[in-house]
Amino acid sequence: MRNKMLNRAVVGIIGAVWCILALFVWITPSAEISLSERRKLAQFPQITFKSLIMADFMEKFEQYAKDQFPYRFSFRTAKAYTRFYIFGQKDNNGVYMKDGYAVKLEYPLNEDSIRKATDKFGYLYEKYMKDKNIKTYLTVVPDKGYFLSGKNGYPSMDYKRLFEIMEKNTDFAKLIRLEDILEIDDYYKTDIHWDQEKILKVSDKIKEAIGIGQKNTDYKTIEVKLPFYGVYYGHSALPMKPDRLRYLTNDIIERCTVYNIETGKTAPVYDTEKLSGNDPYDVYLSGAASLLVIENPSVQNGKELVVFRDSFGSSLAPLLLDSYSKITMIDIRYISSDLIGEYVAFDNQDVLFLYSTSVLNSSSMFK
Amino acid sequence: MVFSSITFLYYFMPVVTGIYFLSPKGFKNSVLLFASLVFYGWGEPKYIIFMGVSILVNYILGLLIEKNSNNPWSRRWLVVSVVFSLGMLGYFKYADFLIENINYATGSSIPLLKVVLPIGISFYTFQILSYTIDVYRGEARAQRNLISLATYVAFFPQLIAGPIVRYVDIARALESRQHSMENARIGLRRFLFGISKKVLIANTLGELCTIFAAAQEKTVLFYWIYAIAFTLQIYFDFSGYSDMAIGLGRIFGFEFLENFNYPFISKSITEFWRRWHMSLGTWFRDYLYIPLGGNRTGKSRWLFNIFTVWFLTGLWHGAAWNFVVWGIMFALLLMSEKLWLGDYLRKIPGIISNIYVMLIVVISFVIFDAPDLGAAAERIFSMFGMNHMPFSDVQSVYYLRSYAVVFVIAMIASTDLPKRIAERIRKTRHGEIAMTVAEPMVCVILLLLTTAYLVDASFNPFLYFRF
Repeated sequence: MRNKMLNRAVVGIIGAVWCILALFVWITPSAEISLSERRKLAQFPQITFKSLIMADFMEKFEQYAKDQFPYRFSFRTAKAYTRFYIFGQKDNNGVYMKDGYAVKLEYPLNEDSIRKATDKFGYLYEKYMKDKNIKTYLTVVPDKGYFLSGKNGYPSMDYKRLFEIMEKNTDFAKLIRLEDILEIDDYYKTDIHWDQEKILKVSDKIKEAIGIGQKNTDYKTIEVKLPFYGVYYGHSALPMKPDRLRYLTNDIIERCTVYNIETGKTAPVYDTEKLSGNDPYDVYLSGAASLLVIENPSVQNGKELVVFRDSFGSSLAPLLLDSYSKITMIDIRYISSDLIGEYVAFDNQDVLFLYSTSVLNSSSMFK
Repeated sequence: MVFSSITFLYYFMPVVTGIYFLSPKGFKNSVLLFASLVFYGWGEPKYIIFMGVSILVNYILGLLIEKNSNNPWSRRWLVVSVVFSLGMLGYFKYADFLIENINYATGSSIPLLKVVLPIGISFYTFQILSYTIDVYRGEARAQRNLISLATYVAFFPQLIAGPIVRYVDIARALESRQHSMENARIGLRRFLFGISKKVLIANTLGELCTIFAAAQEKTVLFYWIYAIAFTLQIYFDFSGYSDMAIGLGRIFGFEFLENFNYPFISKSITEFWRRWHMSLGTWFRDYLYIPLGGNRTGKSRWLFNIFTVWFLTGLWHGAAWNFVVWGIMFALLLMSEKLWLGDYLRKIPGIISNIYVMLIVVISFVIFDAPDLGAAAERIFSMFGMNHMPFSDVQSVYYLRSYAVVFVIAMIASTDLPKRIAERIRKTRHGEIAMTVAEPMVCVILLLLTTAYLVDASFNPFLYFRF
């Protein structure tokens, strides 16, 4: 009798939890996007005879079931906690935590990728810049692992070798080294990027190397009220404290316009509508774009800068605006190198290649 | 469909269980059969046809074998059944392997058939053969009800990766079985422990194996980390699947035989194979080894029988030479243990003989996991420092540290120590009550944790699905 009651109780408790969860799964309305993961979530797939026979429906349904699971982020956090604090694992989804910073494991160094990147830069130089009275500069932004991985026993890429290859293979450009002036505090804790407020020293060094001399002093700091959860927050799935996103502005920057050649739209340098979107870092130049032209009516010196860049360039470019009447931003991850000439006339400009180690280490994305 | 998926846990299982227990007794097998076909067809709908044809043909052959039990046609129909079933398996699983080897040996260039292996075919073929052979031997009556036979073959808990259930062991339950709260409790507990083994341990160790495979720079230490991780992964993956199958079977009123019995505590390879994938070992023993004469023959014939069984056991696992070598390696070890090594192993301390077993097992699974024999040799040489690589580096040490707790948990959980501790606690004054209270709590926590891992996971099929 006692055993019967115990059996009922045990089955009842487990069954009830299981059924309640299943019920939640069935009745919870589908969400469109996951803000923490910065991606669209899978929706209920279309049922057709072909999709059933070819098992496409089933494959998509599996993704849908995972993506639309109720309290998805809480479950992901539970998993992260279990990995870190029960199983003692050092990373979750390739992101580790050190000194309050979420850092992606970026290793090993892919020398082929670095060489391909420098070859691509060399190709661009030969095709568009050689004998055009253009001065070229190159700078590499170290990822957060540069400061934290090696000394804390995490695997990291061989940065020394990376810089050696970059220096050796880019004799057409003057290398501006940033790794000795940057430190981990210059980066967001939850995101991959650097904090614009902390990189005035970077823009100063670049200006000094280019020879335009003017140092930054006159900026107003705007602090965004919304909390900033960076991309590594979503990867790690740990309940980290949000960063504060701040941007530096002044009259010069506020008078500038950013023209997106691909979409034909014009926006301000700081597109504050993006602050409530998927990625608040898109506030800088409205986020990823293949070709942008920043026109600066306040500076009439006729000087132009062309920046081949990744997303780190978006927050740096506004700090260079006081020296140029026009800055063109090119992202060869989104436009073929051969097509650039149709949109940008290369003649008597400064050209800066600005890439992070993470992008250089996976340069197959360059077109 | 895989057990370790949100689809199975929160769509398939609640619906099937609900319909099954609400349906009248006479429809329960039909419900299970329909559910099994959905389960099987979820990943590969077209292969339902091949399984259906196999079931139908062997249903008819079973009846013919029984009908002709007193004349030579019984044997002939059995031969038809064996040739048909093994022919299907041979075509899907071994045809390209055969062509590749013919091409290699003769220099010809016969085009490969490139047929895709239907999932679970090795398992359900052996189940079908067990049915017709049992009927031929008179150990079971031919099944008149096609749905019952189809339910036996296609029953979703054990369809894809076993345990291989002998027809005689399940024949009565197919007709009439008991459902009880006790069965449900045992079944639920077993299922949740099984899925936790798969999701929390096997998949985690699988990640490490994937990282190893992708690593550009490897060290001796990293090779050992991988070898041990894969050995533990395959145990937790496969035994976890068996636990889930046994647990689900229990919920639906079936009692499947055990498939694993703490193989890593073995003190000889002979003992290891009595504890590892027991249903496959039993199948080969009952349907091949004993019919060949077993050990009741001369020594040379006996050794031949062992060799044949293990050659085929290796080949059953996959159409590649590394599986054949893997099987032959165990054949030679088993022979040597039966001839002289066994006596020696019994005399030395248990810890030494266990280390001997685990060393062999770890190396065997390196061969098992390798894409080909060359890669297997390269990995084994590397483990013993024969490939001129450093002993360790930052990456190896990092992963050793990062997975150390998982390794320790997995190693302890692969022994019978947790079971013995639980039994000891249960025998104490308040132990029984504590265990009873803890049981649902632990089960619910495991359900939530596996769900958390599944929500944040990429697709991780069971390792034995490929067989």
